[in-house]
Amino acid sequence: MNILTIPLRNLRRKLARTVLMLVVFSIGVASVTALLELSKAVGESLESKLAAYGANILVSPKTETLSVGYGGMALGDVSVDIKYLKEDETLAAIRGIHHKDRLSAVAPKFVVVTRVAQTPVGVVGVDHEQERLIKSYWHASAGSMPRGGTDVLAGSDAAARLGLAPGASVAIEGRDFVVAGVLAPTGSEDDKLLFADLHALQRAAGKENLVHFVEVAALCAGCPIDEITAQMAAGLPGTDIKAMQQVVRSRMMTVDFVKQMAFAVSGVILLTACVMIGLSVFSSVNERKNEIGLLRALGYSKASVFFLMHLEALVLGLASAVAGSLAGYGASFKLMALLDLGPAAAPVFDPAQFGLVALAVVCLSSLASLPPALLAARVEPSQALVML
Amino acid sequence: MLAAQNVVKTFATEAGNAPALHGVSLTIEAGDFACIVGRSGSGKSTLLNILSSLLTPDSGDVAYQGRSLAALSERERNRLRATDFSMVFQMHHLLPYLTALENVLTPFLSGLKPVSGNQKRKARQCLERVGLSDKADRLPGRLSGGEQQRVAIARALVTEPRIIFADEPTGSLDGETGLHIMRILKELNAEGITVAMVTHEPDYAAMAGRIVEIRDGCILPAS
Repeated sequence: MNILTIPLRNLRRKLARTVLMLVVFSIGVASVTALLELSKAVGESLESKLAAYGANILVSPKTETLSVGYGGMALGDVSVDIKYLKEDETLAAIRGIHHKDRLSAVAPKFVVVTRVAQTPVGVVGVDHEQERLIKSYWHASAGSMPRGGTDVLAGSDAAARLGLAPGASVAIEGRDFVVAGVLAPTGSEDDKLLFADLHALQRAAGKENLVHFVEVAALCAGCPIDEITAQMAAGLPGTDIKAMQQVVRSRMMTVDFVKQMAFAVSGVILLTACVMIGLSVFSSVNERKNEIGLLRALGYSKASVFFLMHLEALVLGLASAVAGSLAGYGASFKLMALLDLGPAAAPVFDPAQFGLVALAVVCLSSLASLPPALLAARVEPSQALVML
Repeated sequence: MLAAQNVVKTFATEAGNAPALHGVSLTIEAGDFACIVGRSGSGKSTLLNILSSLLTPDSGDVAYQGRSLAALSERERNRLRATDFSMVFQMHHLLPYLTALENVLTPFLSGLKPVSGNQKRKARQCLERVGLSDKADRLPGRLSGGEQQRVAIARALVTEPRIIFADEPTGSLDGETGLHIMRILKELNAEGITVAMVTHEPDYAAMAGRIVEIRDGCILPAS
């Protein structure tokens, strides 16, 4: 028996209240733990999903431009040569960077301008599989998405202008293609273009293994986009690697917003739980004034009284930290299954994070009980002892 | 041993200042069994609390073995309460979640160092002294009022004090039990422990060796 006996016995004596406080605080800790796990997973998952709405890096060959003017008129910049990228080397270099696991799509493009029924139209050769990863909003309003190498997908404006419908035949670079479907309007440049299979278009144009540029969708959470572009530039000298900062920033803002929301909600929950602990200790001090007065009359110092009241909160905090962290970790599995974030979003038990959360919770409960514990220490025996 | 000189104490109340003691002087010698008697509100408990260092006077001084209590540091005062002084209250004030034996050991629970075997032995002896050795493992809720008060006396004894301050120790007990408590205090006094007691019962006061009468905050001359 020592000074620890009194607070521990008191917690046991008021078992119902102790258990209730424990449960409530543990729920708070569990919520915070689950939210933290969720924000980590949502951050990654959300960014992956956002990546399906467009690329954020453009890889293109370096071009020379010439400013042309005549008779006092500036005619603008003109590209001197049309340069190409070698498809196999470029894709291998992009996919071989150190942060290759952060690339969610690599979509090469080969562009030709042709005439369909005497009307000029741009035709983009794409790898349909990769293209769908960055354009998940594409869907066919008529017909179906392309399946074979001679299938063509028509943008809504292009189809209207050229009078194309699913099943129509289109001659591009001397080869016949078939319109598989018409894209639903996207509000972008895609509406004005035709999309053919990359390799089929390259063969038709006699430019096998050549592409004009490559769009890349990179996941930026965890490393800055500058690192990814630098790695690509190192592997692809003679190319222009541009990060579309606007795209990057808006995506990260969304991801960061989710994380900040999770932190803010966690903070509110923890603050509420701490206030509860503080109020509970306040109420305990009021109830036990006689006891405090007695202990002081028996020679207990103010520090001893402070320690007694404080220890109860510490015990509650530690027990809640352990129980709540474990419960929160378990609950995060269920939450992620409910939110259908995918198998890659499974929570991973991190002992360091567990320890940090437990320490933070114990510190918070200690801080919350400081004011009432200090109040208890200041109680003078004659004020506290009834019938004195 | 314990000397109060011109002690004045006033309490602030909602109705204004309420003077409790008006320049009280009192000396308690070693071995005395002094009983302070007076009606309710006469200032007797206030005087006892000041003598036992639980209250600080507004003016005047209390000296224990020649040393002013006002000059003691907080640490010295705590040490005094833990060793030389012991208190017995009207409402025993036992901790309800500790057994009788553990309540007796309460003065030794203020530190991280566990209670020693010697201290436990002493506690059992004190319980035996008050006739409760067979109820050492009972919680206060399972003891009668008289038994609880006896546990409180055992708790007061365990630190081997020089003075026991007893504030209405029989106040909430029936006649027979009250008498039993008084007999225990008399025995302790006979063994050399100084007792300073407060009561409003003249029958119990008569059992003390010395009666100090207080009225309206002033000590009446001894008759």
